[in-house]
Amino acid sequence: MVGKESIRSKIIFVVLLITVLAFVLIPFITMISSSLKPNVEQTQLPPKIIPNNPTIEHYQGVLNPEIFPFLIYFKNSLIVAFLSAGIGIVIAIFGSYSFARLEYTGRGVIQRGVLMVYMFGGVLLVIPLFQMISKLGLFDTRTSLIITYIVQTLPVSLYMLGNYFRTIPESIEEAAIIDGCSRFEVIYRIVLPLSAPAIVSVFIYAFMIAWNEYLFASVFINSSSLRTLPLGLNQLFYTQHYVWGRMMAASVLTAVPVIILFLSVERFITGGLTFGGVKE
Amino acid sequence: MQIKKDQEAKLGYWLILPTVLSIGGLIIYPVFYNLWLSVHDVNMNPTMPNEFIGLSHFINILTDLDFWISFRTSLIFTSTTVIGTTLLGLGVALLLNRKFPGRAIVRGIILLPYVTPVISAAFGWKYLFNPVFGMFNYIMVDVLSILPQHINWIESPRYAIFAVIIFNIWRNFPFAFLMILAELQSISDTLYEAAEVDGATIWQKFKYITLPELKFVIGALVILRTIWNFYKFSEVYLLSSSVEVLPVYIYEKAFSTYSFGEAAAISAILFVFVLGFIMFYVRKVLEW
Repeated sequence: MVGKESIRSKIIFVVLLITVLAFVLIPFITMISSSLKPNVEQTQLPPKIIPNNPTIEHYQGVLNPEIFPFLIYFKNSLIVAFLSAGIGIVIAIFGSYSFARLEYTGRGVIQRGVLMVYMFGGVLLVIPLFQMISKLGLFDTRTSLIITYIVQTLPVSLYMLGNYFRTIPESIEEAAIIDGCSRFEVIYRIVLPLSAPAIVSVFIYAFMIAWNEYLFASVFINSSSLRTLPLGLNQLFYTQHYVWGRMMAASVLTAVPVIILFLSVERFITGGLTFGGVKE
Repeated sequence: MQIKKDQEAKLGYWLILPTVLSIGGLIIYPVFYNLWLSVHDVNMNPTMPNEFIGLSHFINILTDLDFWISFRTSLIFTSTTVIGTTLLGLGVALLLNRKFPGRAIVRGIILLPYVTPVISAAFGWKYLFNPVFGMFNYIMVDVLSILPQHINWIESPRYAIFAVIIFNIWRNFPFAFLMILAELQSISDTLYEAAEVDGATIWQKFKYITLPELKFVIGALVILRTIWNFYKFSEVYLLSSSVEVLPVYIYEKAFSTYSFGEAAAISAILFVFVLGFIMFYVRKVLEW
């Protein structure tokens, strides 16, 4: 009886697992399969997952700057995401070290203030920020996006790094100070090397957020030459470039770098250090 | 020693200064600036002066049927997706809370929807939901005959909300899954063993051991997801711009019709509503 019961529950488990995986993966499979279908097969009924005559023409089209501005958008996304994540991490390292290790009046208030940012979604900020960006003459510049993304990711970066810094034994830092190191040297020589995995993960988190962002980009950017991937691809959807295979190939190429980055730090990001530390 | 403490404090201030300046300048200040805008007739050209008009925007909005329709759409969207992501996350976490070969890979796969760029995921779903050749219509109509005819899930205002809800649940349940799974793994086996000795059924174990242990994490998930989904813009707009949740309504008011002042007033109303919800929830539901 016991053996039968466990076989039955095993079958139920496998069936449920396959159902969940199918639900999760079908959009990805559709995307990849459609990006490899020639145009005549895109609209065929019944829809097929495996193309009859797979082709890489859509990928060639997407990567050809003469017919599709994908590479320009890719470059813009890369610049904006890289700079905002890079500057953001420097601010976050200083800030979270200050929270984690230094004592001063007002620290608690500032820390709670940073957490309060959870209550302000991007949509609440987009109108005042648009007015401010325009008045500062930053409309239609990459700078407008970079400074906005730095601030949007800062609270989570501070939280994640602060948690990590607190796991470094204080005695190591104290010993270094007794040996005559200044606080800056402690940060530079001890805290940073020990926190390398956390710093890389936080950088990648900030990079992904910037790579993904649509709302601010759609409001702050006007020139086609400055569009980031989400903005550029969404606008192409409504033009004559709207070819399913090509849009799908562009979607795959947009997703792949981010998925690779995520998988490389998955263990850290999902390692329990993040609770409450993810903001959308 | 006192000198050293002063130095430490000084360094603390210097190190936190960039954070304070950037968050103050680009989050706190804009929130107040938004309130200021909401009581002004804002010029289409941001460099021109604005005219103070008091609460007119608020009166116009609260007497505008379109606002209330959008508000209702937001309530439907948020409540269904909060329930959907939490329940699905809980179910999948319970399913995977056991050892089996390939578990780490399965967990990684389940997180994919959450980390894929919205624009890519939205295109994938648009293709699936296509009225003519999409897989979703094909399965629902031609294979399973659950629906009588193909539906334009993306563009029809009546049905697009379903597509947006399904898309949001698909994208966000992994977050709930991850948090609940981490909590499940921290529950001690001895509790279950003791319950088994007492002859508890699977359901009793779930009800009296698992659920109480998960109370905190589920409570936190519900409030975070509610806040996030009330403000959700891209995941709705990039899949279907015909679903007018409040953020989409604000966006169109501000950047399609250039009624910045009115849009700022709607943002203020949305914020006050979410704040009210948070306070109610924290006091009455979480009992903190």
